Amino acid sequence: MNCLSIGLVHELITQSLAAWHIDGVVELTNDRAILIGGKPEIRIEPAQARSMFRWTITVDGRTRHAISLLPVLRQVREVLDPGYQASRVRVAISPLVRS
Amino acid sequence: MATELIPVSVLTGFLGSGKTTILCHMLRQPEFSRTAVVINEFGEVALDHELIETSEDNVIALTTGCLCCRVRVDLTQTLHDLLRRRDEGACTRFNRIVIETSGLADPAPILHALMTDTALATRLVLGNVVTTVDAVAGEVTLEREAISRKQVAVADRIVLSKLDLTSGIEASLRSRLTTLNPGAPTLRAVYGQIECDNLFGAALHDPKTVLEISSWLAEAPEHTPSDHDAEIKSFTIARVEPIQAVALTLFLEALAEHCGADLLRLKGIVNVAESPQQPAVIHGVQHVFHAPAWLGHWPSDDRTSRMVFISRRIRRQWVEVLLDAICAEVADVSAGNR
Repeated sequence: MNCLSIGLVHELITQSLAAWHIDGVVELTNDRAILIGGKPEIRIEPAQARSMFRWTITVDGRTRHAISLLPVLRQVREVLDPGYQASRVRVAISPLVRS
Repeated sequence: MATELIPVSVLTGFLGSGKTTILCHMLRQPEFSRTAVVINEFGEVALDHELIETSEDNVIALTTGCLCCRVRVDLTQTLHDLLRRRDEGACTRFNRIVIETSGLADPAPILHALMTDTALATRLVLGNVVTTVDAVAGEVTLEREAISRKQVAVADRIVLSKLDLTSGIEASLRSRLTTLNPGAPTLRAVYGQIECDNLFGAALHDPKTVLEISSWLAEAPEHTPSDHDAEIKSFTIARVEPIQAVALTLFLEALAEHCGADLLRLKGIVNVAESPQQPAVIHGVQHVFHAPAWLGHWPSDDRTSRMVFISRRIRRQWVEVLLDAICAEVADVSAGNR
């Protein structure tokens, strides 16, 4: 399995905006960060080496952290898509297999 | 002592597409004589249940409105009542339940209710979703009525009805059905008669039904939807490399969170890295997923993970890169990489 490259994350963010029908230019910067242009501007970058988090997200100068890509996606969408309401996964109680 | 689970099948299809006719035919078959039927009609006066020739105490008509709109109240209460009457010996000891929806019903909330009611889950197991399509008027209906396309999209079986009224099935209708739901076998009903075992006989979601799984995996080529079906499409993603269990979990969580009601159905067989000999079967409706079930063995020599999506407005490219990124991140964490 390939390691997670910043290029793959860039592609994920680009495709995510398209999937959510959100306009925005996604750039990969020279210092290995992802920049989503517009208002507000969002910057996503790997967290510092000693951090317990994996990602740092900066929105209009305010920094947040994320432990994996899922909260990164959630935070980006919450910022850019005001009408967004996350559907939490529910695990069916009924069994898949008949006994 | 383990209680035998009773399969609940959902019979849906647009107005006038032949649901009741097929139901009548099914109930005349001896092997289906112990079937309880819940009928929902959209109107002040229920008629369909009057047309069903079966033991009256096993037929319940819901006339309070469209089933999908009041499903949690009416349907679950009805099923609880049915089970209570069965336990008390007040009705035939039925061994299956068929829910006939109104022609205007969205089947997804009905499936939700069946999958998530705690008390019902100890007694019932989800069976097939069967959707009837009128061979004569079906194409026009599919073009005009969004709900009819959704009914087809979520089906495990599609039944083409009224074949006796037409000399043949239009190629365009077949194409439309395949585009909406390539994994569901299309069966034919003539004068309402059909091989009922093919409809309700097998529990589709029973992973022991290996042939069934092979069928819906094999029948999912890429489809370019026509303009009319642009909002509903199906696609398959495949991965040769095994997927770690936690990556699969995160992937399903992300799909549920971001797709919600647009994920009409997801079925898949997954090569989980921690269980290479026993593949996982996954099944979801919108944001509700079954816990993965495990097959005893692979249905063929092919160990590729395959997930079939039937969705509305979900981009395949996003799903592909989402899975790749999650798998890569999980692999990084497992390896201790930053």
